[in-house]
Amino acid sequence: MSKEYQMRAAINQKLIEMGERERLKELLRAKLVECGWKDQLKAHCKDVIREKGLEHVTVEDLVTEVTPKGRALVPDSVKKELLQRIRAFLVQHAAV
Amino acid sequence: MKMEELSVSSLDNSKLEALAQDILSDLVEDACLGLCFEVHRAVKQGYFFLDDTDQESMRDFEIVDQPGLDVFGQVYNQWKNKECVCPNCSRSIAASRFAPHLEKCLGMGRNSSRIANRRIVTGNNTNNKSESDQEDNDDVNDNDWSYGAEKKAKKRKSDKVLLFSPCINVFIVFIYKTSAV
Repeated sequence: MSKEYQMRAAINQKLIEMGERERLKELLRAKLVECGWKDQLKAHCKDVIREKGLEHVTVEDLVTEVTPKGRALVPDSVKKELLQRIRAFLVQHAAV
Repeated sequence: MKMEELSVSSLDNSKLEALAQDILSDLVEDACLGLCFEVHRAVKQGYFFLDDTDQESMRDFEIVDQPGLDVFGQVYNQWKNKECVCPNCSRSIAASRFAPHLEKCLGMGRNSSRIANRRIVTGNNTNNKSESDQEDNDDVNDNDWSYGAEKKAKKRKSDKVLLFSPCINVFIVFIYKTSAV
């Protein structure tokens, strides 16, 4: 089990070091804006803020309200594309 | 810890898939957090509900696109035709000509030939002594930051030196000095 953990840690490190994680992040962000996810979620944020009150809303409030919905709203096509790229990276950089 | 055991290819497909899903999950979470921070900042800085402004206020702050005005509707060249009074010669000068006039008037600009002007004013009724005083003081003014170092070298060609001295306070001290003399 710990070997797997080490392997995961090594892969994550490689992702970061090679800049691939940053690229994936940017790609994801661009795709989410394009498909309207950001606007949808922003509208949801407005509701949360109106509910909690403009002066009193905290980051924690937003995070707990918004993150689960955000995860659920990601379209399948975006997920598929990202997963494809991640898999390609993992396979290519197989050996540590 | 053997190298082969750490390679991804040793993982079966399901584990590979699980790893990829985890990475995606992290990325999505990053995106959500990013949005939360952005929204929170917008709320606290007061610009979150900006696009909900009513139509009338929107029209009040619309971008101005007329000639002669900037985007806020202010006139930007209204000082062109104002006149200023020169503190030195008390003449009324147009604003756009004021800076060059001041240069010539105070004898401080690059092309003002102040030494020549001063000599004309004081050279007629004084002898050599005051002339060399002027040269010495020229040196003091021409070297903005160092007084003594180049004094000797400069002395020889001080009458041809027309360096611009931006240290107006040094210059003013000089004026007071000569008038005391």
